[in-house]
Amino acid sequence: MLLAGGQGSRLGGLTRNRAKPAVSFCGKYRIIDFTLSNCTNSNINTVGVLIQYKPFLLNSYIGLGSAWDLDNPFGGVHILPPFLGETEGSWYNGTANAVYQNYEFIDYYDPEYVIILSGDHVYKMDYSLMLKFHKEKNAEITLAAIQVPREEASRFGILTIDSEDRVTKFTEKPANPESDLVSMGVYIFNGPTLKQALITDKADYLSQNDFGKNIIPNQLSTGKRVFAYKFQGYWRDVGTIESYYQANMESLKDGHFLNIFDPKFRIFSNEDIFPPHFVGSAAEIENSLICNGCTVHGKVSNSILGAGVYVGEGVEIKDSIILPYVKLHKGSSVYRTIIGENAEVMGNCSIGARGEFAPAYEGITVIEDYHLITEGTVIESGKHVYRSRAM
Amino acid sequence: MSNAIGIIFANSGSDNLQGLAQERPIAAVPFGGRYRILDFALSSMVNSGIRTIGLVTPHQYRPLLDHLGAGKDWFLERKDGGLFILPGVMHSLAGSKDTFCIKDLQNNLEYLQKDYVENVLISSGDQIFNINFRDTLEFHKDKHADVTLIYKAVNPSDDDSQDQILLEVDGDQKVSKIHNKHSLEREELAPLNFVNIIIIRRELLLDIIEKYGSYGCIGLMEILASNIEVLRILGSPTNSSIGTIHTINDYFDRSMDLLDFKVRDQLWLGVDRTHTKIVDNPPTKYTAQAKVSNSLIASGCSIAGEVTNSIVFRGVILEQGCRIQNSIILPKCHIHSNAQTNYTILDKSVIVHGENVLKGSESHPLVVLKKTVI
Repeated sequence: MLLAGGQGSRLGGLTRNRAKPAVSFCGKYRIIDFTLSNCTNSNINTVGVLIQYKPFLLNSYIGLGSAWDLDNPFGGVHILPPFLGETEGSWYNGTANAVYQNYEFIDYYDPEYVIILSGDHVYKMDYSLMLKFHKEKNAEITLAAIQVPREEASRFGILTIDSEDRVTKFTEKPANPESDLVSMGVYIFNGPTLKQALITDKADYLSQNDFGKNIIPNQLSTGKRVFAYKFQGYWRDVGTIESYYQANMESLKDGHFLNIFDPKFRIFSNEDIFPPHFVGSAAEIENSLICNGCTVHGKVSNSILGAGVYVGEGVEIKDSIILPYVKLHKGSSVYRTIIGENAEVMGNCSIGARGEFAPAYEGITVIEDYHLITEGTVIESGKHVYRSRAM
Repeated sequence: MSNAIGIIFANSGSDNLQGLAQERPIAAVPFGGRYRILDFALSSMVNSGIRTIGLVTPHQYRPLLDHLGAGKDWFLERKDGGLFILPGVMHSLAGSKDTFCIKDLQNNLEYLQKDYVENVLISSGDQIFNINFRDTLEFHKDKHADVTLIYKAVNPSDDDSQDQILLEVDGDQKVSKIHNKHSLEREELAPLNFVNIIIIRRELLLDIIEKYGSYGCIGLMEILASNIEVLRILGSPTNSSIGTIHTINDYFDRSMDLLDFKVRDQLWLGVDRTHTKIVDNPPTKYTAQAKVSNSLIASGCSIAGEVTNSIVFRGVILEQGCRIQNSIILPKCHIHSNAQTNYTILDKSVIVHGENVLKGSESHPLVVLKKTVI
């Protein structure tokens, strides 16, 4: 069960027009590609994708799941939106509630184990190894866990474990974390355990119907066998502009953990078909990732250009992430900025400009999808620019 | 639903591609950074609404089928129609001058018989173009033509190909003569080059196969030329054809044409995309030392060297200090530090170790065979 319905409001302009899992990542991917490819590489053949917020682009991107080889005769990808029943129906109210409302779907396939995934993380993981661990420990619930720097830990659910990796305590987003082992938002449940947990949770009127906040702590308190599977490897939550920017930029480093070049554990994507990118005579590109279909006439350094991006003559791009189909015209400069898909920047603009007085905090500038920036505009660093909503 | 099915002759070979076509038909030769030559004919048909395409395959069809699979990436994996493999006859392999050999069609008669559409669109698989045939199919229908031949007006002095078929077309778009170029004197050359694409009524094609099937190897164009008085053969112009690939110079020149914006615009930047096998490569990585100018670079490469006026295919690794000039580097080549290439075509998976210098010339580019280690 892949939770992909979140709004991702902390991604600002990037999620104004699409759900967070459909946001472009690292030029050619979308965030959900990582989780879907993990499923493929872990031999999972039935995936339910729970959607709610701005689903159109996400749905059309996922399609039948054939881009990830997930179309198969045993199951395949199923898009699961909120729906009405004979007597009731409602929006998904929390992650656990979303799964609860789709219990008919799970019953239809009647699986021994259910894995709960989140569509907004960037990582490569073989879930079959985690399942093996789950079986070996004879667990009822297994949480994937990873160590993070302690100062970041308070953003996550903190796990305390004993010597056998059994979870003794789970605290969601505490101010003072008592360990640096955090939950990755990947859970394996035994089928009956999950069903019972969701029914109990539904009956609790005070519950926020969230896996991290309610289900896991409640199951722990009833003495269920909950284990932590320690994951070694690259994992990033890209839920905020800063973490999204950092994770993208990390992919420019050599020997990067994510290793998108690994042929044995491929990350699939539903790409648009484009010719190779063209690099003009005056272009200078250094330490960057460039996708198919780009035309580069300007200077690009420490940046990522998504598919079909046009960079005109004299344009300078530095430390930026340019999402697919963006057009940047002659003479513009872009610094530490994320430009949303299909945006167009006319000539001689300066985006992410450092003003006369350097700001105390040099923020990341964000331009919303489809925004048109008129000639000569100066946008100061750290601003978030949205389109006007007048239709 | 289109009123035509397609046939692509993907079985022409060539001895003049210096090894690029040694183990593969011309149709399967990689071209333009991420494509194979066949993709252009196939995509044009698909973009024109044709959903049933037969592919006449040569003896060595492994590379073709490896590329095509079930045709999914061209939207040809379908219940109704789809991609059909039509095994060609052996002897039309290399160097055959017959355009559209009737024997190849006779071997696969059932493909033509079982469909019920009006027309068949036939194209060779050794050309680079992006033509939307919808208008021509419409023209063919409106004018009640038996056959429509697609041609391109060229300046004869710019064109040095030998085995070209030339047309003479009158004011009503009727084709009055079909010539073989090599049978004409230089000053007689008509300026209309047939681009090896025809639309023919399916019933007529079946009649022709029945009548001429026993003639040994005879080309469809030869039959049309000798029946020009009885058939209603029309001509329809195009300007979206880039050229045929028969020799290594064709290959090199047409590849380098892609560095010209006008050519790319015509071929790739319009509404109709050229489809190809999708392998989901990551984006191309440029390091701080990379220096690239006036080049086409496909995805999945890692570039630390210097690249000028070149075409680099998918998954190529160019190490620091290497210099690639006026070259075509096919997929998965690896060029180590300080190696140099100039006017060189490296076939797939070639490894060039450090300090080597490979140099051809503009008229005679150096070709390095697949998987060579230098």
